[in-house]
Amino acid sequence: MKEYNIVITGVGGQGVLTAANILGWAALHAGYKVRLGEVHGMSQRFGSVISYVRFGEDVYGSMVPEGKANVMLSFEPVEALRYVNYLKEGGMVVVNTKPIVPVQVSMGMAKYPSLEEIRKVFEEEFKAKWIGFNAEELAEQAGHVVTTNTVLIGALTQIPEFPLDAEHVREVIKISVPPKAVDMNMKAFDLGIKATKEILGL
Amino acid sequence: MAKVSDIVLWDKPGERVLLLGNQAIARGALEANIAVYAAYPGTPSSELTDTMAIVSKKAGVYMEYSTNEKVAFETALAAAWSGLRAMTAMKHVGLNVAADTFMSAVGMGVEGGFVIMVADDPSMWSSQNEQDTRVYAKFANVPVLEPTSPHEAKEMTKYAFELSEKFKHFVILRTTTRTSHARGDVVLGELPEEIKERKRKFGKFNKDPSRFVDVPANAIKFHPAILEKIEKIREELNNCPFNWIEGKEDAKIGIITPGLNYAYVKEALAWLGIEDVKILKLGTPFPVPYGLLEKFFEGLERVLIVEELEPVVEEQVKTWGFDKKLNIEIKGKELVPRIYEMTTRRAVTAIAKFLGLETPINFEELDKKYEKVKPLLPPRPPSLCPACPHRNSFYAIKKATRAKAIYPSDIGCYTLGLLPPLKTVDTTVAMGASIGIGHGLSIAQNGSLSEEQQGPEKQVVVATIGDSTFYHTGLPALANAIYNRSNVLIVVLDNLVTAMTGDQPNPSTGQTPHGMGKRIPIEDVAKAMGADFVAVVDPYDIKTTYETVKKALEVEGVSVIVSRQVCALHRIGQMRRRGEKWPIYYVNEDKCTGCRICINAYGCPAIYWDEEKKQARVEPTMCWGCGGCAQVCPFGAFEPMKEGEQ
Ligand code: SF4
Ligand code: SF4
Repeated sequence: MKEYNIVITGVGGQGVLTAANILGWAALHAGYKVRLGEVHGMSQRFGSVISYVRFGEDVYGSMVPEGKANVMLSFEPVEALRYVNYLKEGGMVVVNTKPIVPVQVSMGMAKYPSLEEIRKVFEEEFKAKWIGFNAEELAEQAGHVVTTNTVLIGALTQIPEFPLDAEHVREVIKISVPPKAVDMNMKAFDLGIKATKEILGL
Repeated sequence: MAKVSDIVLWDKPGERVLLLGNQAIARGALEANIAVYAAYPGTPSSELTDTMAIVSKKAGVYMEYSTNEKVAFETALAAAWSGLRAMTAMKHVGLNVAADTFMSAVGMGVEGGFVIMVADDPSMWSSQNEQDTRVYAKFANVPVLEPTSPHEAKEMTKYAFELSEKFKHFVILRTTTRTSHARGDVVLGELPEEIKERKRKFGKFNKDPSRFVDVPANAIKFHPAILEKIEKIREELNNCPFNWIEGKEDAKIGIITPGLNYAYVKEALAWLGIEDVKILKLGTPFPVPYGLLEKFFEGLERVLIVEELEPVVEEQVKTWGFDKKLNIEIKGKELVPRIYEMTTRRAVTAIAKFLGLETPINFEELDKKYEKVKPLLPPRPPSLCPACPHRNSFYAIKKATRAKAIYPSDIGCYTLGLLPPLKTVDTTVAMGASIGIGHGLSIAQNGSLSEEQQGPEKQVVVATIGDSTFYHTGLPALANAIYNRSNVLIVVLDNLVTAMTGDQPNPSTGQTPHGMGKRIPIEDVAKAMGADFVAVVDPYDIKTTYETVKKALEVEGVSVIVSRQVCALHRIGQMRRRGEKWPIYYVNEDKCTGCRICINAYGCPAIYWDEEKKQARVEPTMCWGCGGCAQVCPFGAFEPMKEGEQ
């Protein structure tokens, strides 16, 4: 495999960086060359964020070019839409459908689009496949909202032709979360897998 | 996924690990047997300094968080004068702060290896300007090394120390956001015994006034010596392992590309399917080694220079080519933008145009499609955190001044106070500038209290500045304002940590990587300097903060209010680690009248508007329990949830 590109999007503080890091280590363990590109500093403070995960035999820059992402993992629907131009034609998006409303929307200075509108852009304009579900709810089922990120990574491992082995990724999560939180995260991981399988009819 | 601090210290040569560019540089410094490290944090350089802070004790390295880049530079430089390997790091604008010492001391050279890591921020992801450090390097005649990947960053760090020591000259290791903040596979090298045995290394300064005293009689010898050195280094860099020629030997087309641009060029060429080209990969954009140019240009008919920002390499190559009377087409900034960061798209576009080809993706079409998406997107700029004490300070300041003051502010999280609904930031220029600008604004509009004439109408000026920034460059500005008697209120937003760059300590905390240093309370400094009014408030108590601001505004002269409350992000992070809980607020539906004050005047990101009920709501996963909303709401609608309710 020459290269596989993932973009991860969301709101600063949601765990976008952690997710990228986990996937990066899993790819490294799988023997690939790896590049991650991430946002630090002020840009992280509850603003819109995008991280890049690239791996394969031939990867160079840390940013995925527009139109080149095999898949997008998004922690928030509007933040998925904001970066839709990164997806390649026929790409896939795994998205947490729970919105985080920006202050500007609450102040009445902007409007938050409906989930249907967002999905339509992905499916009709960008010919992408949409896998959307409320990952936060599943994380709560697993024990705590902080595992939302594990739910989403679990979901990601189930999409067709995803090059990393789910069990491989699971192992990385196991050693990267605090020992007390391992069980909860494993449960979250499984819930993410289950949700995606159901949507894909697997 | 082991802890990074452990990985950086692993004694496992040959192990492949995933490191951030900045962490890889820290590892490189350890592999080079560094003895002294001093820096002031600045995005995108901060993680290098933080990594050094974590590992220094275990590696026997002296490390300090200095109060600004100039003093950090001086600390490290003096260590290098004493024969030790020393390093300092900063962001591009940090070099402006250190520039005074940098430009003057370069002629004195060093004894031990001295590496200045400077992280540029093309596209200004978290900076106030877009300056290219390579121009500084050229200005100062200091060689600059620029890595392509995290692994190369580590290797280059070692080489930088060697180069510096060999020529007794400064060396700049320049990164950009995309190298500092890229993670990639890094192969660990050997750690020196002294690092493994955590042996603190001490140096010896040999006095030599003809070298270290920069009076004109001595300095006059420096400049020619520097020029001689840099040409010798140019020679040396022909053999630098980070400079090479690759690709098709008899190609007619050549591409010259420094640093990270090389990665984009490689990617672009693969994407375009072009193999018939020769590449000159430059790890040293200044000085460009002429011997390599000579070799590279053999047989070429056309050359494209792909570099980010300023045409630093381009100018050197073109000058050299002109002198050589080369009749070869050389293109650069005609096709490669001079502003903002390089991307693969930009590289593909430039190379395609240069060769008269189509790009593999029709980017214009993609852009057109995306244009239709844009109107659907609500903006989501970064914002002050929930429970951020700055929000309360700004809220109180705005209320007490009835939004009629001018609000100069500074560099830090609190710059975000510029956004609605707070809008209490009118200017930000550079570190520490809020006090200087505040003073100047008052002088321009009100005059100084020591002048005979005063302005016709009193313009209120309220400057805000963070604790770390106050100690960085706020101090001289405060002395200036007090001495020259302007009429300003300075509110020091003391959140007891350097929050924007990742929670580094500073004199207001007193903490150092080695334990407790000596804490310097800001109010003591203000009093000692002779401020006309000094008070300390807790911004979580909005009413008292408001009243104190009112009181300070009645005082003529320079007033200083220290608004002290620990950074919310820092506090919540620590509570999470300890497994502690905090109260979560909710909106009592019976009391909320839908007045929107909490949203339109205060703006905690955890509070949102419920369109159906026409009431405010709190998103429980985002509430950090400060109780600010409860103080702001005129109807007492915000209440903490009872235990077990969350
Ligand atoms: S990091 Fe701290 S100082 Fe910065 S916005 Fe968040 S709470 Fe405020
Ligand atoms: S208590 Fe109120 S102001 Fe404080 S974080 Fe929670 S919602 Fe925001």
